[in-house]
Amino acid sequence: MPSATLLGQALISGVLAGGMYGLLALGLSLSWGLLRLVNLSHFALAFLAAYLTYELGTTYHVAPWWSAAMVVPAMFLIGLAQHWLFDRFKVNELASLLITFSFAVILEVAIQLYWTADYRRFETPYSTLSIKAGPFYIPVLELTLCLVAGVLAWGTWQWLRKTYVGKALRASAEDADIAAAYGVDYRKLAYLISGMGAAYAGIAGTFIALIATLAPAQIWTWLGVVFAVVIIGRLGNPLGALAAGMLVGASESIAMAVLSPAWAPVVSFSMLIAILLWDPEWL
Amino acid sequence: MMDRTSAWPRRRVLAGMVGATAVLGAPAIVRAAPSGTPVKVGGTLSLTGFLAQTAVIHKIASEIMVEEINGRNGFLGRPVEYVLLDDQSKPDVARSLYEKLITVDKVDLIQGPYATAPILAAMGVAQRYGKVIIQSSMGIPKLQTYDRAFPATPFGPEPDKTYPNVILDMMAAMPTPPKTIVVLTSKFPSAQFMAQGMRDQAEKRGVKVLLYLEYESGNRDFGAIAARVKETNPDFLWVGSLGLESNQVLESLRKLDYTPKNSFHLYPAPGPLALSPDGDKVLCSTFLEPDEPFMSRPGMKKLASEFKEKATKANLPYSTIDAQACGMISEWQILEIAVNAAGSLDDEKIAAWLKKNRVTTVYGSLRFDGPFNHGDAAQLVKQVQNKEWKVVWPTEFAAPGVKLIAS
Amino acid sequence: MNAARDLPKVVAGLAIVALALLPTAGLPAFYDSFVYLVFFWVSLSTSWALLSGFAGYFSLGHAAFFGVGMYTTATLTTKAGVPFLLTIPAAAALSALLGVGVGAVVFRLRRLRGELFALLTLAVTFVIGTIILNTPIDGGGGVFMSAVPLPHLMPTPTGTIYILGFAICVLTLVTAWWVAHSRLGMGLFAIHDDEDVAEAKGVPTFRYKLLAFALSAGIAGAVGGIHAMYVGFLTVAGTFELTVPLYVVLMSVLGGSRHWLGPAVGATAITTLLYAFISGGEAMIGRAIVGLILIVAILWLPDGVIPAIQHWAKKRRPQPAKAQAEVVPVVPATVRPIGERHILEVRAVTKRFGGLQALAGVDLDVREGEIFGLVGPNGSGKTTLINVISGHYPLSSGTVAVDGVSIGSLAAHEIARRGVARTYQIPRPFANMSVLDNVALAATFGGPVRAQREIRDEARHWIGFTGLGSKEEALPAELNLHERKFLELARALAAKPKLLLLDEVLSGLNPAEIDNAIRLVRAIRGQGATIVFVEHLMRAVVELSDRIAVLNEGKLFALGAPRDVMRDPRVVSIYLGKAYAA
Repeated sequence: MPSATLLGQALISGVLAGGMYGLLALGLSLSWGLLRLVNLSHFALAFLAAYLTYELGTTYHVAPWWSAAMVVPAMFLIGLAQHWLFDRFKVNELASLLITFSFAVILEVAIQLYWTADYRRFETPYSTLSIKAGPFYIPVLELTLCLVAGVLAWGTWQWLRKTYVGKALRASAEDADIAAAYGVDYRKLAYLISGMGAAYAGIAGTFIALIATLAPAQIWTWLGVVFAVVIIGRLGNPLGALAAGMLVGASESIAMAVLSPAWAPVVSFSMLIAILLWDPEWL
Repeated sequence: MMDRTSAWPRRRVLAGMVGATAVLGAPAIVRAAPSGTPVKVGGTLSLTGFLAQTAVIHKIASEIMVEEINGRNGFLGRPVEYVLLDDQSKPDVARSLYEKLITVDKVDLIQGPYATAPILAAMGVAQRYGKVIIQSSMGIPKLQTYDRAFPATPFGPEPDKTYPNVILDMMAAMPTPPKTIVVLTSKFPSAQFMAQGMRDQAEKRGVKVLLYLEYESGNRDFGAIAARVKETNPDFLWVGSLGLESNQVLESLRKLDYTPKNSFHLYPAPGPLALSPDGDKVLCSTFLEPDEPFMSRPGMKKLASEFKEKATKANLPYSTIDAQACGMISEWQILEIAVNAAGSLDDEKIAAWLKKNRVTTVYGSLRFDGPFNHGDAAQLVKQVQNKEWKVVWPTEFAAPGVKLIAS
Repeated sequence: MNAARDLPKVVAGLAIVALALLPTAGLPAFYDSFVYLVFFWVSLSTSWALLSGFAGYFSLGHAAFFGVGMYTTATLTTKAGVPFLLTIPAAAALSALLGVGVGAVVFRLRRLRGELFALLTLAVTFVIGTIILNTPIDGGGGVFMSAVPLPHLMPTPTGTIYILGFAICVLTLVTAWWVAHSRLGMGLFAIHDDEDVAEAKGVPTFRYKLLAFALSAGIAGAVGGIHAMYVGFLTVAGTFELTVPLYVVLMSVLGGSRHWLGPAVGATAITTLLYAFISGGEAMIGRAIVGLILIVAILWLPDGVIPAIQHWAKKRRPQPAKAQAEVVPVVPATVRPIGERHILEVRAVTKRFGGLQALAGVDLDVREGEIFGLVGPNGSGKTTLINVISGHYPLSSGTVAVDGVSIGSLAAHEIARRGVARTYQIPRPFANMSVLDNVALAATFGGPVRAQREIRDEARHWIGFTGLGSKEEALPAELNLHERKFLELARALAAKPKLLLLDEVLSGLNPAEIDNAIRLVRAIRGQGATIVFVEHLMRAVVELSDRIAVLNEGKLFALGAPRDVMRDPRVVSIYLGKAYAA
């Protein structure tokens, strides 16, 4: 039987790793839930941001937070540009899959052409820093990530809730006429949400640059788990996305601490299936 | 589109040749240049997709070798033309492209792709057309069931038995020999194959296996696994890793304020691991490094400098030649020697010659007359010392003054 | 005339023969191999569309069914020595069984639609992949199939794989064509648009979804079985990955996932594009160009290639100038007397939603041939009663009998088959079906079994009857509210109901439209149906009803002739408040 320290440490590490799933899920959840656009290029945008952070950090020795201050607004603009295309051509949910997939492929090629397919690593002193709390270690970078993700998720949630923007958007995803009744300019809001989604990808990308070693094809490695997280957290619900990310991360991590690690996906996803079958309302 | 595919590499090779001549200067033309219809050698690499970081290296190595071979006598006095296709890191695409190379492009010879699954897909095609196929990266020799498939890398027929013993010998030679080991492995076929061997051999030799853990290939979070390793606190950590997994494991351990006493890594990406702050003193499998005694092997110095130059030009962050790049170089060296010695482009004759003779490549003297066409095993152990890989075991392959640093 | 109609069949037949003989033509093996891969993706994406495109149950789990097929063949050939060809039916059967198993659980839960279904299938993929990875089925080392003998169906091994891929591809397309043109397909398309309505119109939705899932998974399994032999070396990471579900989705979207041929078109286009740039020098740029082409294609043809072609063809075809069909009002030939027999008997019916008692013990009898009005203030349980009778909600307690047969425990589609039809307060037409198809669906599933030609004629009759004659080919979105309400009626009528439940057909109509509608309802009764209708508009209630029942707080409050009931001070009080009544 694993010790309490091991279980506690696994839980911490799982929740923190889940923070990354949640952060990546945030932007995806917004555009999918509120605009009915499934943005597969979200991951590619995150990696583009990561590569830019890497480039700024290694070539020009820009500190990551200053990089973020430049990269995140740039991502916001890319989000707007992307949405212009969606808006101009009235792209529906299914077509958005194909377009954003293609967009991701093009970004992947662009990244590979400029930075090559070889690994890129942005070495910083932060990557392995930890705080010691009793018998447990809490990695600083992941903790920061979770705090940032938490603030973003909570802030976005409040904004959607308090200003009725969320309701209006959800209504307009179903029927644009009803949305007009809310007195909301749906089109402007949609641009804002798209920009925000891309900006969140940019923030996730900054952390990816600090935490991971980059390779172009890694764009696709997060797809499955983050998709699952977005849906578990309920489309369009930022707090749900983050909570779902942490839940998946924690359950996988605990499973890895107790069982053979290779069995971990069975545990977390069987649990998910069981919950869905038992009471889908719970989600 | 179909006919353009062959035109491209030709242009590329010609451009390469012109480039090479320019570098060498006019007097270089004195040597008898190969002439006549080019000999087409076809192969695929995973230029796009999740294996692309490996293809980049192999492509450079191939380009260097084609230039070199054409700078000598070519194949049987004819220039070599390399027809390279992109298998998109997918075995089913690799299969169809080898069929294209053989039946549409009508290449004279083929060269193996990278990684077990595409190699096996290509091997099936080669077998149907009786082509010789030389590959450098199939870590499970017993899968090489085709009698004209040859390894360019000296794994030996049973690396799961021989190599763990090399490592165990090294462990026994440490000032305080490790008595306990944790074996951690990716469930990637070639890594798991070696990990199981390591576990069995360690037990046989009285090193206690405290923990044997398999994780899914592509595992994202190593926190829990690291916590288990730390709790077990073995004398030796053996990681059956691929790509970046070693970096992830070590970083996760560091976050727990734990540095393993000694750690070994199977097939990590060498560049990122050497430069990582966590990489110091880690051990790793290899066949050679750009160092003595290997640099004294014929042609090696020139290859190393050409590689450096091309890799830098291609904007690669890790531009030093390594064992992986040398795998591709070895493939070309074997093909060159075998074709010219057999005096024929006939696959049957080339295969027959290879089975009877030794070939000296960057990997040393290789033979192909053992089980699965493998010869002697020559896997070594290297260690990160001052951010550079140094061969440390067996000691006769260590550069002068380089020693294994154990904790 | 005949020759022109048969031409496509002749061309298709010749193409099939020519493609079947391709491996014997002595072409380089690469072409066999490449065309095989086209067949492979065509079969996979078409099989995906059977459930996900037709019925709208968007699956991200196609890799699970494909992978189970691959590993079935790999395991049976390498570990049990079963001949390769025999393993393909086994692969299909096992995958189909998995599909049915998943479906039998999932389809019982109404909530598991849309993205939750996608999530569930994705999770199933992860779970199955992990199980295979960690058990001796694979164990992590991969399965190497080079020693498995391949039968000599064609001169070359690649030719043999080709012909198998071709066979499964033809089989898949024939299946897809057949489904699309059968009752099953009609039902699936209706499920795609509005599952509850489909069920209420008599579509056995649960059974149809299971059948579609079984076909979809079974084909994917067979394709996997063949592909295992093509690849020769299987790994879990290479099989249960996201590429397969992602590509089949993209291919189906490009071609048009609701058309039987759409996914095939998309699959052929994308596979060919991916092979257009394979040469080492242009691989990367090629990938980007493929991406650009796909973007331009889908922006230009947002609904996919096949729907775009259909749309274009429809626009080009001159609209036949239709003789205006029968126009409302159609006056009934004879007014049948109201019988004494009870067509509907409601006994002590209760319905609870959590803590809310929507129906608290209602007893009603409706006589054959009468128009029975159901009124009451908001929240009194009128619509709930309609929903309970039509089987949309299960009863909490009590019995409902139609024509003396208890229907309380039946599924909605079975109730519909027993002659109960309903309309919705807010019209719920099948959005992607033409007016004609909407009505034909109701006729197909509601009425007795008969030929499609007959059904179409009947549907046209009812469309004319409701005055929608000029809108047969229109989509519901092109209709105004008035017309949509009448489409609801046409759909209900096409089922030839014994009992018709009308839920506020008049709300939202202007006075002229209301007069029209009232005449129509009378005409419907003239056709022999008994009508129960919920209505707020008192003028209409009094004018139309033979009897009315007033519901209040889930209970029967008053019952009788319209004028008597409406004069009852108790009834006035619940409508207008006690003070007024007093």
